Amino acid sequence: MEFLNPGALFGLLALPLLLIPYLVRRKPRRLVFSSVLLFIEGGAQASARRFGRIHVPPIFFLQLLLLALLIFALSEPVFSVRPTRIAILLDNSASMQTLEDGRTRLSLAQEKIGEVIGELGVGGQVDLYLTTPTLTKVQAEPLTPGQALSAIENIRAYDLGDPPMDYDRVLRQLAGERSYERVYLFTDHPASGQSTAARVISVGRPQGNLAVTSFDVHRASLNNARLEANAVVANFSGKDETVKIALQGDGATLASRELVVPASGTATATFEGFAEHPSYQIEIEASDALALDNRRFAVAPTSRNLRILAVTPRPQSAASLKSIQGVRVDVISPAEYAKFDGRDYGLEIFHFSAPAQLPRNPALFILPPESSSLVDLGAPLSNVQVSSWREPHVLTRYVNFSLFRPTYARPLKPQSAGQIVVESPAGALVFAVERTGARYLTLGFDPLPYLGRANLPMSIFTLNILDWFFQSGGSRSQATGEPIPLTGMQSGDSLVTPAGEKIALKSASGSFAATFHQGIYRRVRGGASEFYARNLGDLGESDLRTPTPIELRGEAAHTGSTSVLFSFWPYLLLASLLLLLIEWFINPRRARATLPGVRRVSRQPV
Amino acid sequence: MLSDPFTADFLNQLETLRLRTRKEFLGSHPGSYSSPRRGTSLEFSDYRRYAPGDDLRYLDWGIYARTDRLYIKVFREEVDLFAYVFIDASASMTFPSREAKFLPATHVALALAYVILANHDHVKLHLLQHGGGASPFYRGRRRMRDCVEFANAAAPGGGLDMAAGLSEHLKRVRRPGKAILISDFLMPAAAYQKGLNLLRAFNLDIVAIQVLSRYEVDPPFPSGNVALIDSENQQEIKHQWSAAARRNYQSRLAHHNAEIRSFCHQSGIRYSFYVTDRDLGEFVFATLPVIGLFK
Repeated sequence: MEFLNPGALFGLLALPLLLIPYLVRRKPRRLVFSSVLLFIEGGAQASARRFGRIHVPPIFFLQLLLLALLIFALSEPVFSVRPTRIAILLDNSASMQTLEDGRTRLSLAQEKIGEVIGELGVGGQVDLYLTTPTLTKVQAEPLTPGQALSAIENIRAYDLGDPPMDYDRVLRQLAGERSYERVYLFTDHPASGQSTAARVISVGRPQGNLAVTSFDVHRASLNNARLEANAVVANFSGKDETVKIALQGDGATLASRELVVPASGTATATFEGFAEHPSYQIEIEASDALALDNRRFAVAPTSRNLRILAVTPRPQSAASLKSIQGVRVDVISPAEYAKFDGRDYGLEIFHFSAPAQLPRNPALFILPPESSSLVDLGAPLSNVQVSSWREPHVLTRYVNFSLFRPTYARPLKPQSAGQIVVESPAGALVFAVERTGARYLTLGFDPLPYLGRANLPMSIFTLNILDWFFQSGGSRSQATGEPIPLTGMQSGDSLVTPAGEKIALKSASGSFAATFHQGIYRRVRGGASEFYARNLGDLGESDLRTPTPIELRGEAAHTGSTSVLFSFWPYLLLASLLLLLIEWFINPRRARATLPGVRRVSRQPV
Repeated sequence: MLSDPFTADFLNQLETLRLRTRKEFLGSHPGSYSSPRRGTSLEFSDYRRYAPGDDLRYLDWGIYARTDRLYIKVFREEVDLFAYVFIDASASMTFPSREAKFLPATHVALALAYVILANHDHVKLHLLQHGGGASPFYRGRRRMRDCVEFANAAAPGGGLDMAAGLSEHLKRVRRPGKAILISDFLMPAAAYQKGLNLLRAFNLDIVAIQVLSRYEVDPPFPSGNVALIDSENQQEIKHQWSAAARRNYQSRLAHHNAEIRSFCHQSGIRYSFYVTDRDLGEFVFATLPVIGLFK
């Protein structure tokens, strides 16, 4: 027998409270009687005696039984029939690596799964699912209990956040469509609500945690080659914490400091002027439950200079960019772009042109053709007045927009989610999009001819554009699960994972998607190495104090789902009502009614 | 006009009754009750030798013819009756209320008083309570209203020592007669026995009527623990009331009443028991004659 609402059983502890009315009632009613002579002769106690034997009438036991039955019914007891076909969903997200008294939540969940599987009948069948990166069935065919147990033991948690999923719907769908007798979800999220076909078994308890939530290494500025590293540490606990934070380059400590992180707040640590390394790691010394988010990785900026690939039918326009210090510009025609390997460039500028697909590198589109996937172009305008612009923003910094008047412009009509940075009355002039870690900027006017002193606002705006792209260049790490692009594949290329595993890359694959663990991925290509950093990207995994609850919204009839639970609480409720009726008839009414002719007196002596 | 239950019919029925006495009393006026003295009633008592001066009308000529001796027939003297009605006016008579116990008790007393008044006898009402008063002697049915007023004016309360209370009233009793004691007798046996013996000592023909309310016969206490407070002495006792306790109480009450009845029987006292929810007429016309209270 199981209880769907076991919390109600705590009500049994309140049963002794039933004695209170009897103890209160035991305080005698003071009644005046003509003469107590006959009572004294009968051996009644004198009132001086304060305590006597507790007299509990038989009705008390009936009431006790009634209450116990009610509490029992509220706990929703069910008889469970041994299921034979079940599905087990195991949360293998990053937070399952959290330690609970020396054991990870995943191992606790594995132990509980073992118990559930142990209850299966001999012919039981188990389908095993993992929730991250997406809900995936581990084995195509149903597993026997023994196979399932060994499969469960081999599962390790990924350094990934939970996928966005409506667990209630998913669990019910699984139970309904695949005819599972019961679907179990083992997770570290608390669950609310009840369902007989779907069961959520939670492990772990809320805990405080410290986490490095952001880390990047970049040049100080476009014109300053000094390296800077910024790390943000978040405190998911109720008290201020002081932690030691250390910056490492290829395993060697480059700098360290102490950082005070306020309760439920963040603190930023900045390191400057350290030596260049292929990869960096920032780590805090914290003995919290989740070690995974105590470190974060980043790779060095791909180039000390902002290397630009300008794709333009008018090469002379792009030549003005070469005058900017710290910028290297290669100019090609649009026809040459398809053959060009652009992986070394920090920015690709498409001047009056656009590629068939969005480039992997950050890209600036200047008056793209009408077929661009990001925007549509409106009717041409001349001497466009800027009506609004976003502030504060790197792109609009120091720009006097009252003097900012492109002589020729075409308003932009955004076709994808992004940010309009500068706008004219006729439409957007500057539209920014950030997708899979790369920035894309589309301009409805051409700033290149004005670079220089001839048009100062336009020149400042152009430099802002380069700075904006420079900030996003190279060093910014990506979240675990984001694929590593495999451009320019050669035979013998391989990828070394953070765990040290060497994976031979196939030339047909366009990317390596299995970046489920945090760390530095090293791609070996013809003796040279390229580094890719992947970090835990879901802050929710680090917040162990207030995990998102899973809500089961109750029962719903599903074709094909078979409940293995027999609820008998309605019968208990019926029995309780019957007892209530009996109690109502048996309990002496006279005791409750006001007695005619019998005077009650106050506590004071008469 | 008297109020219920003393309706005209009820009073007419009462007028048909006459009290019976076991003793002969010395009355002050001719009446219908035997006196130890010889008198002029129609009831023959004895013969005595003629003495000069005797009334020749009472010579028994038959005896003279047979024995040649003169004998005078002697008749009993019939005198009027002096009745003393003692009504218990202690606090216990107000339980559960004055109307439920004391008033029915006074109705019994007044009914008997009317029987006495209707026979041109003397009746005096006494209230048994601390400092309790007594009415003057009433005679004649027209004084019934005075009796009623006296009874209505009574304010029962306080405790009662029956012997002491009776003693106070008996100090002023000059003539023997009939004593009617109406009480709940809810007191120790020694107390009521002492009081009744006191009445006996005054050579009174005693009738004891025990009056109890239905609530005393069958107390309607709630089940469970009750603290009972004595209405007279405020003594408080705790009692676990239940069906068994109720049965036990009723058994003790029956035993208590039997003791009273037994004592009265042994002492030549007529005893009757009246529960106040009974019909007064039925009690007076059916129960009291059974104990020989009426002729």
